[in-house]
Amino acid sequence: MKKLYSNKPVIFSLVLPGILVFLFAVLAPICLSVYYGFTDYSGMGEARLIGFSNYIDLFHDSAFGKSLQNSLLLAVGFICIQHPLAIIVAAVLDKLQGKAEGIFRCIYFIPNVISVAVIAYLWKFIYNPDFGLLNNIAKAFRHPGKINWLSQQNAIWSVLLVLIWHGFGWGMLIYYTGIKNIDPVLYEAASIDGASWWTTFFRITLPLMKPVIQINVTMAVISALKQMETVYLLTNGGPNNSTQFAANYLYQQAFKAFKYGYGNAIGVVFIIICVLATVALNTIFRDKQEA
Amino acid sequence: MKKKVLATLLTAAMTASMFAGCGGDKGSAPASADTSSVAEEEADSKTDDSGAAKDDAAADAGSAGGDVTIKLFSNLPDRKNGQGLVEQTIIDEYMAENANVTIEVEALDEEAYKTKFKAYAMNGMPDVVSIWGQPAFLDEVLDAGVLAELNEEDYVDYGFIAGSLEGFKKDGKLYGLPRNTDIMLFYYNQKMFDDNGWKVPATTDDLLSLCEDIQAAGITPVAMDGGDGWPMACFLTDILVKVSGISYADIVSNAIATGDFTAPEIKQATEILVKFADAGMFQVGYDSQDYGTTMNLFTNGQAAMYCMGSWDASMALNEDIAPEIRDNIRAFTMPTVSGGKGGANDIAAWNGGGYAVSASSEVREEAIKFLNYMYQPDKLSKYGWENGVGMSAQDQTPYLTGSETELQKQIMDILKNATSVSGTPINDCGPSAFKTAIESEIQGVSNGSTSVDDFLAAIGAACK
Repeated sequence: MKKLYSNKPVIFSLVLPGILVFLFAVLAPICLSVYYGFTDYSGMGEARLIGFSNYIDLFHDSAFGKSLQNSLLLAVGFICIQHPLAIIVAAVLDKLQGKAEGIFRCIYFIPNVISVAVIAYLWKFIYNPDFGLLNNIAKAFRHPGKINWLSQQNAIWSVLLVLIWHGFGWGMLIYYTGIKNIDPVLYEAASIDGASWWTTFFRITLPLMKPVIQINVTMAVISALKQMETVYLLTNGGPNNSTQFAANYLYQQAFKAFKYGYGNAIGVVFIIICVLATVALNTIFRDKQEA
Repeated sequence: MKKKVLATLLTAAMTASMFAGCGGDKGSAPASADTSSVAEEEADSKTDDSGAAKDDAAADAGSAGGDVTIKLFSNLPDRKNGQGLVEQTIIDEYMAENANVTIEVEALDEEAYKTKFKAYAMNGMPDVVSIWGQPAFLDEVLDAGVLAELNEEDYVDYGFIAGSLEGFKKDGKLYGLPRNTDIMLFYYNQKMFDDNGWKVPATTDDLLSLCEDIQAAGITPVAMDGGDGWPMACFLTDILVKVSGISYADIVSNAIATGDFTAPEIKQATEILVKFADAGMFQVGYDSQDYGTTMNLFTNGQAAMYCMGSWDASMALNEDIAPEIRDNIRAFTMPTVSGGKGGANDIAAWNGGGYAVSASSEVREEAIKFLNYMYQPDKLSKYGWENGVGMSAQDQTPYLTGSETELQKQIMDILKNATSVSGTPINDCGPSAFKTAIESEIQGVSNGSTSVDDFLAAIGAACK
């Protein structure tokens, strides 16, 4: 078998499909995107090269700025709200043991199992000022008038809540698996030494979870940047771009505004931002690990 | 030796799986059947030239040898009510008369439809498609040459209303046919109005005081689909028509050509829109609510009025709506603006939606034949009228039954009494980038987060 793996045709045949997929499904579209980013292509007909015009327009485009700002806000929301909560819930679940552990694990993971389209429409109804759940609760507490949860001022917070809630189960599950992999002997030793639950959490659980946290945070930031489906179905970036995200804006420009070239320019900038964010996060975590 | 055989087998398996994965679907059977049928259809169409349009399909029935599949891409996902039902009825009849023809329908709602239309345009269109005879949609589509040219002379006897084909032409050539004459309306619940002693407003000031009274009764005055952007842009068009009168089209085309929307009429119309929204005319959260939610607000009796085009007149025949509401739906047009140049009978109306045939269709002749069948005066026009889906782009007078709903009669009177019609609504007059911009910015200006001047500057910038 060892000799088989050192056989060059075998190595070639095993590696080739992966390389081909990468070349044609990833690299070629990126190269085409870079090309179309320099054109005024509408998606149909002829494409004319227009140099850096799309990129210059992009820097003056307030909607694109707003979409990056919203992505950043979502990433902060994921890191500062979703993930600390997910770690705490995972740690509590670990301590629950027995049937309750399984039941709660399932309950927290349910939002991840439901389709994004269902989630979006579910929350659309919850937020509806006329018959929505939230306004009915507010009414029961004698709140005068109707609250517009998706108004220009409130919409971004309402959208963030849905996204944080929706992704919570996934983050929690990864942390939960991480905690389960920690050697129980460490907890026993701590308990013999009289350490409290919080001390155990901060001195044992968190430090040993660093690699898991690193992966989870990196994935959270990338998913914040790539956010599209829920926003498209919930608000489609509105009202007036207040809940716009880069991927949704790219889609609108390329496929609704017939500005395919401009959409590709957004795509290129978007890829650069994603790569920079990943490199930055890796650098931050590497420094900490080395320290 | 064993290992060598294993290595060779592994390599072969990998290579085979790769080739399997790279396989295309070019050689599918229906495509070849379609190609063969084109020649036959061409031969048939030559023999049909002398016959009236009405006889086209009948003459062809049974004569075509091969099976033909026509793919229809439609923007009417509800196949059981309104316009979608009319379209499906005609399709079913055509298939019954032409046993060799199968029509496959793919229907999406308007926004999703327009997006997928573009994806199809890049990679091969279905044979018959819904289109809009407006620059924001059609300019790029015609520039790309994805629609088949139609022979205008074929439609001389089809009773199209004068001027209704203009939006579907480029350089004098016809590329599509209009389906409806759309009129912007305020639908209202007459029983609710009568019970509360409310009167149909004659001026925008009356409308504002009416809205105050409706609000005082704890009811939403007007249900507005502000989440989609385009209905509010049509609403702005309606106000602008009352402000500028017959010069509406000139003012808008000049603004789009120069990218300067500071014309006093456009500014005044926008200010009126903002005033309406500030006065609480629309439901709470109108700027994020979609079509269905908005319409339900009116059809459930939670809103006294509903602002939408005449295509929603089929509400009066929709059995899903409670009879006490359904039977009491009436309509009026935008009231006049004090000092405005537009009179009560200068209305916001246009010939928007329609159908076209794909230039790359492998069954083009059969697709055109089906298109012509749909537009026979006793099809789209007649069935549309019977189903209460508003006014057709063809002469409907022969199909009046005398048992029309009150709403249908009202809409017919509105069109009959019109002294001028606006033509294309403002959002569809410019390039699609302008359409995207105005439909987003109008949410901001109406909810007060953008000033009127900034709104006008932003939509002007989108034209440049």
